[in-house]
Amino acid sequence: MLVGSGLLVVFLIVSVTAPWWAPHGVAETVDTPLMGMSWAHPFGTDVLGRDVFSRVVNGARDDLFLSIVSTLVAVVVGGIVGLVSGYVGGWLDELLMRVFEAVISIPLLVLALLAIAAAGPERSGSWLLLIGVVVLVYAPRVARMARSIAVDLVTRDFVLAARLRGESVRSIVRRELLPNATGVLLVEFGVRAGYTPILIGSLGFLGFGARPPSPEWGLMISENRDGLLAAPVIVLAPALSLAVLVIALNLCADGLARYLGRQAVRTP
Amino acid sequence: MIVRLVASRIALAAVTLVAVSAAVFLFTEILPGDIAARVLGRESTAEQRQIFRDRLHLDRPVYERYGIWLKNAVQADFGRSLVSDQSVTAIVAPKARDTLFLAAFAFVLYVPVTLLAATLGAAFRGRAVDHVTSVLTLVGLSLPEFVLGLLLIYVFALQLGWFPALSVIGAGGGFLDRLQSTFLPAVTLMVAMSVYAIRMLRDNLIEVLDSEYVRMATLKGVPRRRVVLRHALPSALGPALNVTALNLTYLIGGVVVVERVFDYKGLGWSLVDAITNRDTPLIEAIVLLGSAVYIAANLLADVLALLLNPRLRTS
Repeated sequence: MLVGSGLLVVFLIVSVTAPWWAPHGVAETVDTPLMGMSWAHPFGTDVLGRDVFSRVVNGARDDLFLSIVSTLVAVVVGGIVGLVSGYVGGWLDELLMRVFEAVISIPLLVLALLAIAAAGPERSGSWLLLIGVVVLVYAPRVARMARSIAVDLVTRDFVLAARLRGESVRSIVRRELLPNATGVLLVEFGVRAGYTPILIGSLGFLGFGARPPSPEWGLMISENRDGLLAAPVIVLAPALSLAVLVIALNLCADGLARYLGRQAVRTP
Repeated sequence: MIVRLVASRIALAAVTLVAVSAAVFLFTEILPGDIAARVLGRESTAEQRQIFRDRLHLDRPVYERYGIWLKNAVQADFGRSLVSDQSVTAIVAPKARDTLFLAAFAFVLYVPVTLLAATLGAAFRGRAVDHVTSVLTLVGLSLPEFVLGLLLIYVFALQLGWFPALSVIGAGGGFLDRLQSTFLPAVTLMVAMSVYAIRMLRDNLIEVLDSEYVRMATLKGVPRRRVVLRHALPSALGPALNVTALNLTYLIGGVVVVERVFDYKGLGWSLVDAITNRDTPLIEAIVLLGSAVYIAANLLADVLALLLNPRLRTS
């Protein structure tokens, strides 16, 4: 947890401040292509002669920031939909759960690709689309979990009391159900956030995520892979950054779960 | 009783599959722009586009087209590729075989690795072996498939030269050649799949090892090895089976990435290609196939769990 949050803080600082101290711009050709490690270019230069170090530190924004924001939106949306659906019940609940079941049955990355294909080439690479895709992929899974909590809580006395007091659905969900679901949803957020960079990186790697000249790590890895033999560092630097980021997020999720007295369950 | 339960699970899976097909169809049909103009190019005449639209029934409402598509899909007819004009089924079948080979290879590696790592971790809980496996699984959990794949390529293909860097298949060669060229992608998939299962199975095993009947066996003087393998492992396997089925959602995505990394021209490779080319019928067929595999695997795991654990049948 300590190591994880320490690393995460470093990533956060880098992601916010990188534009000010990165030696070169992300799209700036500065030297001969495919150079290895050197003092001038710690992570070498890529196929187009851009400074990989500057690109990697700037890429932290795409991978970390985007991951956290999109996961947060997904957990909030999924959590609210799930709690309301579970509380209200009836045909709406039944219908929603069938739809979610169908969406969840489409393998995660495949669903993301499908959504990007449906959005069309004009919108590809925009942050908004990527956030939307993450929400589409995660929210049904979160909703299904939140719903099971709500269904479990509905029969409790304090919910019944609130209902008899004549409180609205909105206030019951917010004041009675949500506080009891916060722990589970927080752990869910931690675990999901640990996977989002992999999802965003994979989309970038496949060419459906960030667009060039974005320094997103997955995209950078796919652009630089032909230089793997000539200058391994230009692939390894973004690859290890991505891996360390995910390790940090996972350590934090485990720590958070332990702190809340729960288990970080990594199931789809 | 059990027959009815199993039948209801099968019916539910069928309903889900139909719902998935509707979702997939809707997704691909809202692709913006005029498909006819996109496929035939700007120089096409209005007449050519009209013929194209007629062939795909593009002038009919969405639900009617879905009905036609579903009716044909049930008979394994997914129409023709918009790009190559070949029948989609003819394109997909050989690719599916290659992907199945890769997945089966990964699975064959997955079972022993998972069992061994989880059992060692649980049996030597809190000791060096356990710590090592737990750190390794955390690292494995954090490495995206394309990163792991590229690392393996760098070390075992480019530096050591033991395996080819790209697994180009179908160019003659015997079974052993094929195994060699598929080894690295299979290992990548295996790691992606087993890290979750190892953690889950280890935790389950520890729980079972703490249970009374296992302690009873130990107190009776049953050797430790036999206690772990014969008494604890079988009852810890059930939940792991379910996790394996659920994790297929990552595995199928992993196949797409791994096939791109190693240029292995299977279904996942074709899916990316089809999306790039906006080849709607091909996208629909592959996505539906992937979802069907996922649904079927989960159905199988559900039914097996029902058969293995009588307690589940009462609720």
